[in-house]
Amino acid sequence: MTTSTSAPVTAPTQQAVAARTRGLRKEYGSTVAVDRVDLELPEGAVLGMLGPNGSGKTTTIRMLLGLVRPTQGEIELLGRSLPDGAEQALPHVGALVEGPGFHPFLSGRENLIRCAAFEPLLEKRDIKHAVEDALERVGLAQAAHRRYRGYSLGMKQRLGLAAALLVPRKLVVLDEPTNGLDPAGTREIRKIIAELHDQGSTVLVSSHLLSEVEATCTHVAVLHRGTVVAQGELTELLQAGGSALQVITPDVETALSALRQAKISARPLGEGLRVELAGTSAPQVIETLVKAGVGVYEATRWKTGLEELFARLTEAEEAERGMSAVDTLDGGPR
Amino acid sequence: MITRQFGSEVRWMLRRPRTLIGLFGLVLVPIIISFGIWTAGEDGGGGGPGLGAIIQGNGMVVPIFTLFLSLNLLLPLVASIWAADGLAGEAQHGTLRGLLVAPVSRVRLLFVKLFGLTAMSLFAVTLMAVVGIIAGTAFLGMNGMMTLSGTTLSTGEGLLRIAFFIVLVTFQMVSIGAVALAVSSTTEHPLVVQAATMTTIIVFQVLGQFPSLDWLHPFLITTGFPGLVDVMRDPMPLNQIWDSTLLAGCYLLIGTGLAAMRLITKDS
Repeated sequence: MTTSTSAPVTAPTQQAVAARTRGLRKEYGSTVAVDRVDLELPEGAVLGMLGPNGSGKTTTIRMLLGLVRPTQGEIELLGRSLPDGAEQALPHVGALVEGPGFHPFLSGRENLIRCAAFEPLLEKRDIKHAVEDALERVGLAQAAHRRYRGYSLGMKQRLGLAAALLVPRKLVVLDEPTNGLDPAGTREIRKIIAELHDQGSTVLVSSHLLSEVEATCTHVAVLHRGTVVAQGELTELLQAGGSALQVITPDVETALSALRQAKISARPLGEGLRVELAGTSAPQVIETLVKAGVGVYEATRWKTGLEELFARLTEAEEAERGMSAVDTLDGGPR
Repeated sequence: MITRQFGSEVRWMLRRPRTLIGLFGLVLVPIIISFGIWTAGEDGGGGGPGLGAIIQGNGMVVPIFTLFLSLNLLLPLVASIWAADGLAGEAQHGTLRGLLVAPVSRVRLLFVKLFGLTAMSLFAVTLMAVVGIIAGTAFLGMNGMMTLSGTTLSTGEGLLRIAFFIVLVTFQMVSIGAVALAVSSTTEHPLVVQAATMTTIIVFQVLGQFPSLDWLHPFLITTGFPGLVDVMRDPMPLNQIWDSTLLAGCYLLIGTGLAAMRLITKDS
């Protein structure tokens, strides 16, 4: 299924956008679900959309797909403005929104065939092939003849993904794709996202699993209370969060005073100390320590984890504590 | 493209277990009616010829009689079920989103649903008529079609009348279904659609019983049902049939219009 492309894999400075929103606002009655959302999805990027429950992720995605009319604002999808250009843009978009939706009395295969019948880009003679391909790709070929009613949550999710991948897409939108999947299934989704990225497709993933986003995405947009509080390239966002050095040493006291003399901020942490790298660099810190006769067993660069960044953006009170990074699998020293 | 979508829609409807059970139920109606008339004819020993004697050899009346009876309750129920599954049911399962993202334009989606409704209605009504002819012939024999005017039509002409009646009844059924589709576009609960449609049909029939409300009667779709029996007269008077069909046509247009308006602005 994977086709190797000779073109380089997405230049990071590419200007073209796959989707863009301007001043998006959606009201349901008197509640404002989404407000002033300016989202930019660069072509070829894998954008992770993060946000707590009810932050407007799904509403934004539904507006992006023309399912919901915005109260205000503009949407551009693959160069077409919505909702008027939906019929031109949407055939190139595969989507899994708000969980998979299928008919319980049909088998997985029959469900996909029904989806395929409504795909404008699929010729009638190619339907069978496309359906089998998609089933194979998500690992459902064995269970394709079974009724959807009897599928496990993970299988349902896979079928939803298969429907999104029936046709080669320019943009794939996945709303919580790993919901209900076991770790192996999660890895497969990650693999599929990477494949899509390699083929040059743009991917929009919304997830509440931060590690998920950190592992697969090139770009991140953080939503909070219906608006985008941060977006950009993942690496840039994380760098902006500052970095630190974790030093393992028995002489914490000596080390602290040496660093204090060198005007480097540090604090004890665990079996050693955590040194902020603002205005200094790792070699400088280690040099200072070694010169002061401190035994350094280990020094590791500690980048801000996405979780820490996320917590800071969405929970103002816990901004400075950086605690969550310690508790997570992926926010630790690297 | 649209034929493929039509095909997929009909296949999808036919694959539903409840559709098959429904069709099976509908087919039983003419068989039971034939059997009932046949047994009623057995004991014609009283005074004068029994019902069976009159209808003896007149099996071709069975399909007309069957459809005429079913139009009051059974066929609207079936139409409302199909309309309910068409939009509300798809919304409930989340499959409507999939269709809209495919994308199918909302107006086209409505036409696909209307087509499915029409095709299945025609199929159901024809099936009932065919089974009616077979059962009627088997139980009562076939000797042309005796009309309400007392004349007897040839078998060929009788079949033509039945075919015409099939079209008329299908049209009534589709019109009711179109209104049900309008309800269906506003909700995610198929049962609401069925309940609303059936309540309306029953209330209309009750209202039709009150002479003091005769100003209202020309607007009730159910008022047109009895007039359709004119296909059994010889020669066939067309005014009542035309009025009933026109009335149903209004319901079809209004139902489709409302459904389209609702679908176009709907958030899903």
